[in-house]
Amino acid sequence: MERRGFLKILGATGGALAFSNTELTPEAQAQGVREKDLRWGKAPCRYCGTGCGVEVGVKDGRVMAVRGDAAASVNKGLLCAKGYHLPAMLYGEDRLKQPMRRGADGSLQPLSWDQALDLIAQKYKEALAEGGPESVGMYGSGQWTIFDGYAATKWMRGGLRSNNLDPNARLCMSSAVSGFMTQFGSDEPMGCYDDFELGDDFVLWGNNMAEMHPVLFSRILENKRSRPGTRIVELATRRTPTSDYADLYVEFKPGSDLAIANGILHLLFAKKKVATAFIDENVVVKRGIEDLKTIGYGCYDEQAERYTFEDKAEPATWKDVESFLADYSPAKVQELSGVPPAQLEALAELYGNPGRGTVSLWCMGVNQHVRGTWMNNLITDLHLVTGKIGRPGANPFSLTGQPSACGTAREVGTLSNRLPADRVVTNPEHRAEAEKIWNLAPGTIPAKPGHHAVDLFRAFMRSEVKVLWIQTTNPAVTLPNLARFDRKPGDGRFLIVSDIYPTPTTDLADLILPSAAWVEREGMFGNSERRTQHWHQQVPPPGEAKEDAWQIIQVAKKMGMGSLFPWPEDAWHEPMFEEYRKFGLGNGKDLASYKQLEETRGLRWPVVDGKETRYRYAAGHDPYVKKKAGVHFYRAKGNGEKAAFWIRPYHPPAESPDQEYPFWLTTGRVLEHWHSGSMTRRVKQLHQAVPRAYVELNRVDATELGINPGDKVRLKSRRGVLELVAEIDGRGRPPRGTVFVPFFDEGLLVNRLTLDAMDNISKEPDYKKCAVRIERVS
Amino acid sequence: MSRAGWTPWLLGATLLGCPAAPKDEAGRPAVEKTAAVDRAERRAYDGAPPVIPHPNLGAECVGCHHPRGVQIEGLGYAPPSPHEKTSGLSERSRCTQCHLFRQSDELFRSNQFAGLSQNLQKGERLYDGAPPVIPHDVLMRENCAACHDGPAAREVIRTPHPERVRCRQCHLAVSREGTTLAGPAR
Ligand code: SF4
Repeated sequence: MERRGFLKILGATGGALAFSNTELTPEAQAQGVREKDLRWGKAPCRYCGTGCGVEVGVKDGRVMAVRGDAAASVNKGLLCAKGYHLPAMLYGEDRLKQPMRRGADGSLQPLSWDQALDLIAQKYKEALAEGGPESVGMYGSGQWTIFDGYAATKWMRGGLRSNNLDPNARLCMSSAVSGFMTQFGSDEPMGCYDDFELGDDFVLWGNNMAEMHPVLFSRILENKRSRPGTRIVELATRRTPTSDYADLYVEFKPGSDLAIANGILHLLFAKKKVATAFIDENVVVKRGIEDLKTIGYGCYDEQAERYTFEDKAEPATWKDVESFLADYSPAKVQELSGVPPAQLEALAELYGNPGRGTVSLWCMGVNQHVRGTWMNNLITDLHLVTGKIGRPGANPFSLTGQPSACGTAREVGTLSNRLPADRVVTNPEHRAEAEKIWNLAPGTIPAKPGHHAVDLFRAFMRSEVKVLWIQTTNPAVTLPNLARFDRKPGDGRFLIVSDIYPTPTTDLADLILPSAAWVEREGMFGNSERRTQHWHQQVPPPGEAKEDAWQIIQVAKKMGMGSLFPWPEDAWHEPMFEEYRKFGLGNGKDLASYKQLEETRGLRWPVVDGKETRYRYAAGHDPYVKKKAGVHFYRAKGNGEKAAFWIRPYHPPAESPDQEYPFWLTTGRVLEHWHSGSMTRRVKQLHQAVPRAYVELNRVDATELGINPGDKVRLKSRRGVLELVAEIDGRGRPPRGTVFVPFFDEGLLVNRLTLDAMDNISKEPDYKKCAVRIERVS
Repeated sequence: MSRAGWTPWLLGATLLGCPAAPKDEAGRPAVEKTAAVDRAERRAYDGAPPVIPHPNLGAECVGCHHPRGVQIEGLGYAPPSPHEKTSGLSERSRCTQCHLFRQSDELFRSNQFAGLSQNLQKGERLYDGAPPVIPHDVLMRENCAACHDGPAAREVIRTPHPERVRCRQCHLAVSREGTTLAGPAR
């Protein structure tokens, strides 16, 4: 209903595409255009954290083709189906082209940018006057460019004096952030994609890489083909296209990966496969709070409104480690996980074999976990005790979901507790350094961390946060336990949403702003391997759409905070980036210069004297390491520049199947769709390949329930109900007792069923484990 | 049966139940025209990976699309993969990583994308009788024989000398020109 009204307005005002400079239809313009007629420019792919290089072919202000960039070392010319179909993503008929305000009757009325910006400034000012900096907020994205994230953090913290800024990366990468921070005092992996050719054994922890990082998986497959003996080991809770290529497939009960990792450690110590000299030189032991009651899950009882648990590190010894690991015998691990001792032995053999380069890979399975930080710690622990770290072909490597989860959410520091280049708001020195670079009065940046994503929306629902601005993300599809966040616009709070298409999130907005997408503006992304990639604007945005950073800068100016962005209106990208760069120079987070990034297919930081770094902390690779050989964890200042091994126990999931809700529900993506589907579903070929969400069932379970492929099935959790078509033995094959549903479909919202339980340290929700009941409908 | 009758384009039309292929006056399928139309229909733009013109048969792609291809009685010819010699794309690689099945004819929203149009031009020759330059991008299309030899090859692009397997010894590949690294859009 609302959506229809929206389209009508677009039709009335949009008309022909505003950027086509002739009367011809796009098809007529495209007639007879050949490859050689296009202007080709470089850009990273808009979608996943792999960061493939593409060549963008442009004519008359329109993108008409892309090619895999053969000169890009990430993908060497290959893309996946999403990447090849990038151009069409820009041209969905319902692109947002002008600002719109929702009237009292719910209808949308166009307004000018000037009016829209005035309105935002006024709403923020009113909220600040009434409720102070804690009553305003902003929710961004790992799909923001570095420019957008930097403008947002500077405006929020330096202008509004509020830390209520968090990105959707909280829902996907924050467990990796807290994992790396607790162990190395510095975020992001030490290894890089070169490991895909150099490694011997690839251990995938809950990671359907064939679908989620397809081009990187191709690199592993090629390694496997050209170097016989290369192995893929997959630990998973359901079979996926990745499993077809696994030399060893280890299926485990959801959440029991904690027990498996401890079980491997147990065997490594028992069999004396520990690299003693390495740990003596480079590793300390730590232990945190382990009491289940104290920690909780952030979704029940008094924690259900605000979850503020804080871990406390205690020093420990290797003796403590060995006595702690005594609890994780193969028999005990089998009891918790279902993994037979022989498989655990095989894993220990693999990690403990000093002659083989081991690369551990993980993404959402480990991060979206009620003990995600612990799981990150444990995987890295395996590499620390075996010394398989900081070496070409042997590293723990965390993959990222979004194109700039690393570049924008993590490096710029748009998480509610972070400042650029590994700094945190709770550290007075870090705040002072930021205030100095930003030319702010001492004490401007608040010391108290803001709300993390789920709590930011809880606070908005409580009306503690009165004005909230969402950019480049679609939380009305992607937040867990969605029913908690149902709202009607005009309820006294003010929600602003910047996006490129109408979505369920714009349906909730009081004010909608049209954004420029991908190559319609200049940008930079940072991918999983620390590579910063720059692109120039290649085509004009449609209608009045504007880039997100511009929107923020203009509101800041309207609020009298223009001094935060003192650069010329037509040339602010370069000086903004060069200011941001100051945060990392000289401390191991050095980014390449704007000029250098313009000219290359991206560079991996730290970039010192114009040279990138493939392996961080490694002698002979990292310019900050002065040693002749080995590694130096020079960023771990708190641990005497040594990495931390963490003792982390097994805890059960927040909700497990029982008699009433006997099945595990796990959720995730499919290769063809990006995130909440608002872009890829508008691409014909991608939509037609996977037109709607479905539920994957085990064949035996389905037979018992009388369900055939294609039947309609009702899924019910303690939070919601959803009807879906059953798929059996399709691309994913769950074990008995587990079902899987993808989350891309805004018409079939699986997040109405999921639970908003979250990791104790990173506050990242667990989308992989809750309990449901299943009935056949027809 | 003429070789042309085995073309994979017709296989696609048969399996998908596509609208009837154009016919010539004698009622025979106008193969060349159909091939060109189908070729364009299956790609978002010239250079995009084609969608798969048949339903998911539940088998491994290379079961039929292997180095010699497979003639399927009554259906047509499944040609070999042009990527057979491409690094990282061999044998057991993931075809559906790039090539999509079509499970539905619906659109989620309409889209005004208009892509690079199909280019079926001939390769230029320096002089009469000189080997033609390859008129298309060759990245990931290293196995020339997949399209230029065997039953799937259309008459106009079939090589007259399939025994000479090192095609690019004589036929030069056009380079990708014009990729601009720096400088704002004009
Ligand atoms: S979606 Fe990811 S793997 Fe696919 S082309 Fe884009 S960056 Fe590469």
